[in-house]
Amino acid sequence: MLALQLLVNGVLLGGLYVLVAQSLNLIFGVMGVVNLAHGAVIALAGLFTYWFTAQTGASPLLAVPIAFVAAALAGAVGQRLLIEPVMRAGGSKSELLSLIVTFGLSYILIELALQLFGADFVSVPYLQSSWTLGSLAFGKALVVAGAFAAGMSALLYLWLNHTMSGKALLAASQSPTGAICCGIDVARVRVTAFAIGVGLAAAAGALVIVIMPVAPQTAADLNLLAFVIIALGGLGDYVGVAIAAVLLGIAQSVAGYYLGGNAEYVLPYVLLLAVMVALPGRFRRVR
Amino acid sequence: MDTKAPARRLPALLGGAVILALMAAMPLLGTGYILQLATDTLTAIVLAYGWNLISGFTGYLSFGQVSFYGIGAYTTALLVIHTAVPWYLAVLVSGVVGALAGLILGPIMLRLRGILFALGMLGLARILSVVFNIWGFAGASLGLSLPSALMPVPIYYATCLLALAAFGITAFFTHSGFGLDAMSLNEDEEAAAALGVPATRVKVIAFMLSAALPAIAGGLVAWNRSYMDPSSAFNPSLDLQVVVFVLFGGIGTLWGPFLGTLILMLAGEQFGVSFPNLQLALYGVVVVATVLAFPGGLNGIANRFGWLRRPVVRAPRGEIRGAPPPAGAAPPPGALLELRDITVRFTGLTALSGVSLTLSPGETLCVIGANGAGKTTLFNTITGFVTPTAGQVVYLGQTITALPTFRRARQGLARSFQIPRLMPSLTVWENVLLASRHGRQADRAEAHTAWVLEALGLAPMWSLPASRLSPGHQRQLEFARVLGLQPTVVLLDEVMAGMTAEERETVRAVVRRLPEFGVAGTILVEHVIAAVVDLCDRMVVLDFGRIIAEGPPREVLANPDVVKAYLGEAL
Amino acid sequence: MTSSRLALTFRGAVRLAAPLLGGLAMLAGGAGAARAAKPIVIGTTISETGPLATDASYQLKGIQLGIAEVNAHGGWLGRKLVLKYYDDKSSPGAAVRLYQRLITLDKVNLLLGPYSSLVTIAIAPLINKYHMATLEPGASVPDIYEKGNKWNLMNTADSTTYLHQLLPLAKASGAKSVALLGLESAYSLACYHARVAQAKQLGLKIAYSTTYTLQTDFSSIALAIKNAKPDVVLECGYYPDSVNLVRSLHEQGFAPRFLGETVGPVEAAYLKALGPLSNRVYSNSGWWFNFKTPGNKAFIAAYEKMFHSLPDYHAAAGFTAIQVLGAAVTATHSLDQNKIRAWIVTHSVSTIQGKIHDNAYGHTIGAVQDMVQVQHGVLKLIRPAALAQAKPEIPYTGH
Repeated sequence: MLALQLLVNGVLLGGLYVLVAQSLNLIFGVMGVVNLAHGAVIALAGLFTYWFTAQTGASPLLAVPIAFVAAALAGAVGQRLLIEPVMRAGGSKSELLSLIVTFGLSYILIELALQLFGADFVSVPYLQSSWTLGSLAFGKALVVAGAFAAGMSALLYLWLNHTMSGKALLAASQSPTGAICCGIDVARVRVTAFAIGVGLAAAAGALVIVIMPVAPQTAADLNLLAFVIIALGGLGDYVGVAIAAVLLGIAQSVAGYYLGGNAEYVLPYVLLLAVMVALPGRFRRVR
Repeated sequence: MDTKAPARRLPALLGGAVILALMAAMPLLGTGYILQLATDTLTAIVLAYGWNLISGFTGYLSFGQVSFYGIGAYTTALLVIHTAVPWYLAVLVSGVVGALAGLILGPIMLRLRGILFALGMLGLARILSVVFNIWGFAGASLGLSLPSALMPVPIYYATCLLALAAFGITAFFTHSGFGLDAMSLNEDEEAAAALGVPATRVKVIAFMLSAALPAIAGGLVAWNRSYMDPSSAFNPSLDLQVVVFVLFGGIGTLWGPFLGTLILMLAGEQFGVSFPNLQLALYGVVVVATVLAFPGGLNGIANRFGWLRRPVVRAPRGEIRGAPPPAGAAPPPGALLELRDITVRFTGLTALSGVSLTLSPGETLCVIGANGAGKTTLFNTITGFVTPTAGQVVYLGQTITALPTFRRARQGLARSFQIPRLMPSLTVWENVLLASRHGRQADRAEAHTAWVLEALGLAPMWSLPASRLSPGHQRQLEFARVLGLQPTVVLLDEVMAGMTAEERETVRAVVRRLPEFGVAGTILVEHVIAAVVDLCDRMVVLDFGRIIAEGPPREVLANPDVVKAYLGEAL
Repeated sequence: MTSSRLALTFRGAVRLAAPLLGGLAMLAGGAGAARAAKPIVIGTTISETGPLATDASYQLKGIQLGIAEVNAHGGWLGRKLVLKYYDDKSSPGAAVRLYQRLITLDKVNLLLGPYSSLVTIAIAPLINKYHMATLEPGASVPDIYEKGNKWNLMNTADSTTYLHQLLPLAKASGAKSVALLGLESAYSLACYHARVAQAKQLGLKIAYSTTYTLQTDFSSIALAIKNAKPDVVLECGYYPDSVNLVRSLHEQGFAPRFLGETVGPVEAAYLKALGPLSNRVYSNSGWWFNFKTPGNKAFIAAYEKMFHSLPDYHAAAGFTAIQVLGAAVTATHSLDQNKIRAWIVTHSVSTIQGKIHDNAYGHTIGAVQDMVQVQHGVLKLIRPAALAQAKPEIPYTGH
């Protein structure tokens, strides 16, 4: 029973990771934008959700679509003004430039969050209990977040692999010149994908605030975690990231139980290094 | 990255003198806040230069050099607390420990590339931060308090010296052949290996240096503050700051890290004091605006006015005039190159199957075959990019099957690439020098480079970045690099693909002249059979990884199997 | 376009040069003779951003209120007070430089310590080098004071007293076993080790104990606690982990009879984040609304008027620091650091937190953190018994 409960907790934790990482996977893994503002978007959306529920008394789930639309619009504008110019450099150069631009952007967003919502950690008390199955407990908030994350992953996977616009995005990311030759409006594809990525990050933020306390300064930690998970799962690999996130969640759940909090905290980084050292070929493939 | 030929000596010397004088005079402004700010800024400059060595020059972007800063800080702290070692020695020991850590971690971590290396380093920093957070001997989360010895002026001058050393090391990178090797890794690591650059050694040395600098800086900071704790020692945002400093100033440049750090440190401090509520946003706006307007950073802006350009490494003085090299030792009798029963299998695909070949002295061998016949794999196997599943490669009587690419290149086994893989931002001169310098003394290498450039008609454009050359000249440069190695055997991979008849003629002329450059044997892989047929002494036809015909060109081309497999029914 | 960007950079450069030139001018001119009306400048840094921002902001508000009150009554020695503060971003390194600035460039007359023990330890060498008598409203780790930092003067209850009344209460109510958790940070480990020692001394069985690094997932720790079935769960941590632990315990379906957490529960955001789950959680506070200390009612009223919210003990500690400093300055009739320090370590001061007295090391004696409990969305003081607003409600039920 203990083993099963650890497994359940691990899978649910993995769901949270998928939620945080998958939208970055679109922006970073597929499009090659090293987005250091991802965590700031999540935090900002989370804080907005807190404010929204406090003002209206509505369910935080209602904030999910609002956050998505607002962030997607902002993301589209941001992409056009700030990201598109550096993406034209191409290759590793645009990777570097996008890193520094989004770094600056993250500072601006964190400041915005500080000005709008203050520096305090906040959280929304919603779905705090568990559904039980026999003696197994399933935290409600985590189940909802995990279901959302799974749906999001599936849709992204289908979009990229089975629709024209998704394939156009993949083509535009792998070879912008080639895509242009095929008649793909690369700039438009990129702005759409970036907007969706930012929108999904914000939607994730609206759910994260229900699971744990968030403050503007949480941004950096969320960002880091998302990057680590993507590295473990594979850049642009939606199924891989989902699997890696869930396996990591299970490993952390077990480590936390038997070895304590410090071990659990450091495990993602140890695993990342171990996998990199043990299977360098798996990572060499990339770029 | 623009370069210039003659350095404007006087302004540079004056500028340097002013900076040095300001640095020396800083303590006159008082020993309090201003000196502390100056010390902190110089520390950040050291970190920036350290990061720039591995990330700017070799292109391995690291998010974890802070690990070495932390290791250095704790080394000094523990030494000062537990031993009688004076602080300056402790700080130097920190540097040694940092370099050793780099030596151990480098070969492991540098197998990763791109953002993955960055994340791996970041993970390392996180792990260290947790270890030091719970390690009782190192004070755990409470940190370590050092015997209080606040001595701002000596520490300031020590930091000055360290910053100068960091500048000096960086200048060594921008001015020396070693630096050229490092920069070539950033441009194209595989092509560099084919030119004899020992990639692993170069990047591990760069990594060690870029570990030692922050380690010493960390030691100085620990001693300066008389206190060190895990959250300060392994703070990931410190690295991010440094990355932004360098990118803002201009990555991979000599002055970029200095300028970027100086301006952003002071701006950040001033924003914090003047606009405490908008500090982060203002800082962010400055960073974003600069990058969008000037992707090359401040150094890039300066370049537009002709300032701070990187001088060409070991630039020729005066007119380029080279003499042909003294004739090398004659190759030993017997085959130059021999492939024995080579099989190469990739997952689910056999690229070469039981291929045996011999190249005799003075011979030009042509390998032809349809797309996917295994021609490029053959070259990759000979030059060491691909390790064969079975079989042996013998060069000058020596089995070299397991020899790394750069060693083969240095022994005179040179290749060109199907699409020229030049180092685009390096100059023509540097592209060739890169190949010439290995296994040669500096002046001999320069003389050889000059001669090759002159012989191939590239001398007038020696100071241009390779990216600015016309496609035809880029081909010539690819040749020049091959000849820079002073090779015994040359492998040319479809050098005439996509060329006009006129261009082909130039190339054919070069191929005919190869013996003048000391080349004893040549293998040509070619698609355009008409263009090579009269150059070939012998011809080999590959089809689906097997040799289906071999012999004098006329005979081979008349072989019905070849006609069927390769030329198609039409002929 | 290009020129306007250049102009921006240029203006920035001028702004940067200004303080340096200002510093030069100050050095050249020397410190001019103080005019009578010249205000007294009090310097501090506060973690307005970074992980410590929430608690630190209360401390700042307390200080600001204290200064406003003093100025409303004519200041000290006939001079008004001015607060000069910077954001240290919760970073020890930044704080070191900013205190350098306060001392040597801004040349403030008096200093107050930053928030948190960690930042305080970092600036201690500096404070002691410049002999600045610095009251510390936010640094509760005893080591700082006992280890020879004579110019750091504690001004709050030390962290070994956090939740010190919970285990005796639980034992008296029949508790046998306890689970103890400590966050890996300076103050929380001091608290954790003190509670471990106390549990042993009281003969309570330690069914589970762990230290942890700032993390978000407490499900495994909660499950381990559930399996250990302790009567008491006591956590020394900060706000985010205190919320996460309560949630996770609830998700795993475990409610200990006694649940105590330091720091987190006294913040308004805690009740908002946990709703009914916070009911009957114990916490600690160095100051409370019903303290019958002189000026306490006025403090609460003035705080509400100024900030439109209620103070907490961090705010009270900030306010107290101004009270103690004021007592020392007025009594010695000077801004001399030696005199101020000597006065503080030999006199007790009546503050809103009660009588504060520092020993020769500058370690506050007698001050303790008292115990509060969340009762139906309201925090009530339950220990010491003499001041108790309510009896403890037992057990914790998780709703």
